Amino acid sequence: MAAQIARPKAKLDERFLARRRWARVGWVYGAMLALTVFFIGPFYVAFLGSLKDNPLEYPFRYYFAQLQPANWAAAWRLGQQGAGNPWTGGFAPGARVPFEVAYFVPRDQQPVPPTVVVPTRRAGAGLSAVLVEVQASQYAKVSPVEEVSRTPAVVDGEPGQIVRYRFTVTYPGSGPKAPRLPLDVEAPRTQRFYDATLDPNRLERRGRVASWDSITPGFFGYTFRNYLRVFNEARNPDTLESLFLRWTANTFFVAIAAVVINLIFASMAGYALARMYLPGKNLIFGAIILLLAVPAQVTFISNYLVLRDLGLIGALWGLIIWIGIDMARVFLMKQFFESIPREIEEAALIDGATPLVTFFRIILPMATPALGALTILTFQGVWNEFFKATVILSAQQNNYTLPLGLNFFRSSYGVQGDWGAMLASAFLSMIPVVILFVVFQRYFVEGVSTSAVKG
Amino acid sequence: MPRAKRTELLYALLFTAPFLLYLLVFHGYAFVRAVFFSLTNKDLFNAPSFVGLANYVYLFRDERFLLALQHSVSFTLVVTVLQTFLALVMAAIVNQKIRGIIFFRTVYYVPSILSSAAVTLIAIWFFQRNGFLNSIIGWFGAHGPVILAFLGIFALAQAVQVVWERSRGLPVSVFDPALASLSLLVAIAGSWILCALGWVTPREAAPFDLAWLSETRSFLGIPIPLWAIILLNTFTTIPTLMLIFLAGLQDIPRSVYEAASIDGATPVQQFFHITVPMLRPVTFLVVTLSLIGTLQMFDQVALLGNASSLDSIITLAYFVYNNVFNSNVPGNVGIASAAALFLALLTFAIVGLQRLFGISEKGY
Repeated sequence: MAAQIARPKAKLDERFLARRRWARVGWVYGAMLALTVFFIGPFYVAFLGSLKDNPLEYPFRYYFAQLQPANWAAAWRLGQQGAGNPWTGGFAPGARVPFEVAYFVPRDQQPVPPTVVVPTRRAGAGLSAVLVEVQASQYAKVSPVEEVSRTPAVVDGEPGQIVRYRFTVTYPGSGPKAPRLPLDVEAPRTQRFYDATLDPNRLERRGRVASWDSITPGFFGYTFRNYLRVFNEARNPDTLESLFLRWTANTFFVAIAAVVINLIFASMAGYALARMYLPGKNLIFGAIILLLAVPAQVTFISNYLVLRDLGLIGALWGLIIWIGIDMARVFLMKQFFESIPREIEEAALIDGATPLVTFFRIILPMATPALGALTILTFQGVWNEFFKATVILSAQQNNYTLPLGLNFFRSSYGVQGDWGAMLASAFLSMIPVVILFVVFQRYFVEGVSTSAVKG
Repeated sequence: MPRAKRTELLYALLFTAPFLLYLLVFHGYAFVRAVFFSLTNKDLFNAPSFVGLANYVYLFRDERFLLALQHSVSFTLVVTVLQTFLALVMAAIVNQKIRGIIFFRTVYYVPSILSSAAVTLIAIWFFQRNGFLNSIIGWFGAHGPVILAFLGIFALAQAVQVVWERSRGLPVSVFDPALASLSLLVAIAGSWILCALGWVTPREAAPFDLAWLSETRSFLGIPIPLWAIILLNTFTTIPTLMLIFLAGLQDIPRSVYEAASIDGATPVQQFFHITVPMLRPVTFLVVTLSLIGTLQMFDQVALLGNASSLDSIITLAYFVYNNVFNSNVPGNVGIASAAALFLALLTFAIVGLQRLFGISEKGY
């Protein structure tokens, strides 16, 4: 009996094993892809949401007007017709914008042309309420609505016809350029919106009223409408400067300053701790280890008071000084310098170089890889710093960094549930770090696994 | 002291001076001052006067502080357990010698490098009442019958194949990948046919309706908005911990696994009897990092802001901040310092306890 069971094992042929091996690889890749979906999926979906007119659309649809190539082409063409600008559009003198809308009319109804209005509309709610924008409604002329065609059709199981209308919006004479050309088209009862040259941003009252944020949006203006809103709507009420641009510049300034400070002082300190004669070195290490575990909440009050005494509350330099020299970076550099052979310094010493010259002329150039890692990790950390920025900069809207700006957007748009601009601002704020990550991902990934395990 | 040595010391001081100054002012001095403030009635503007341990006594009578303490401790425990376990499992999955593994590792790391502000903003959108999370949960709920049918057919097909192969005398395991691939195809085709025939249809389930962020109810004693933060925090930290585990996994010699598989250990047995014990030091590090990080969680609470009621999400770190800057009576520096020091003590205590009892070293 036992012999019988053991016998077939010898029959395991190569093909069986190979098949199993291939299938295993397949399942491993399947698992990897599933994890990828898990970690990237939410960002992908949120990005789609950031393009939508209403990101809170429920249930979530994966196909919407902003993703349709037909709309991209139309938005491009209309932007050109409106202001000669296919990217961001507008409405300039001399514009001639032909536009078509189609309505579904049930069988026993008489088609009636819709009314077309260029409304006066604020640029957006909340933040931009204070801004005065050139309104297209003051300058636009809408031609009479003509009927173009009637085609019999069945829509949602209901027989009837689709009636197409055409009109032209013009900008006669001269005047300022309006950034947008909003439009409302309202059909009589029983007619339903079917389609148009450009899909509308909103359909209200059971499809009778279609409204466009702008019918001359240009490609960006239509597809990335929320992204343009981030730049256009949040402005400093006094100078009309775009706050988001300002915050981006602030964040770059703080991050670059922090990187430079860390590059110079962390490597100097790391070098001295690795190589030079310094009594009490171990005491310093002990202190660092202990202080690393102390929460920032313990020290922030005193630091706030110190910076207040220096007059640096609300100032970017206050944040930079507080970020200061990262203990973990000092460790990183110390670790690196310990791996450099001593003979190099001894040679320099014999040649009569002072430690300062040796360090800056000989040692530092050798440390390029470590300095690269330090630069990238510091930049990323400072770019994302939230707690210290909140404590120092909260009161100075002009000096916000991007994380604070996002928080500000959240509190000012969140009330109205206007998620388009909020999501767009989140994605815009990620761009530099994502670029950095794509180019230097090795440093990020290795930085975590090696420094954490060996440090 | 010889001249050369003296010069070296001078240079060493010159080199370390900026760092030491920073350390002294922003960490050392700040820490000492926090201890001092915690014993006074200091506010942001007036000179302090000594009140002894009154602030500490006050804290333990303050309901909000007790709430924050309870939240912080439960948050820390749940997140640490969740993310340590999941990170280990993921690291074990990702620790494969296959082509393109670097690419996948890099991709998984993305949520960890992005700013907490941006990720939290996206998460708030995700957790809205008519947000994507509810929408996807609703989809799964409605498609429950289809998914069940799919899994049923898969299990059935796999069982039939395994029995068949074993009757032929081949020693296949229940999870044999080749057979599972075939079962997958059968299950896809089978459930598609069932749907097409109308035998199995998605049900008309009511949409999943949970206001994650403004909910006042609790689940397992933790308010639901805090659960939302738990999910978010776990999601963003897993990749970092996974990479640390991965570095540890790659230090385990392959030969150990080979020896085990020759002795007939299944992959699951190998995981629990080789991987977990050999990763003890790394697990210890991961748990420590996780404990320290989660106890001090601040960003997400601050960014959620008034989307949730403060009492459902407040944590110790936010309590401290809130007492200095945000509350109705701002500038309670004394109380805030006492709370912050308590947080520091708690951190040391929990990490110390972990070290003492070696919780992580017992494995799972």
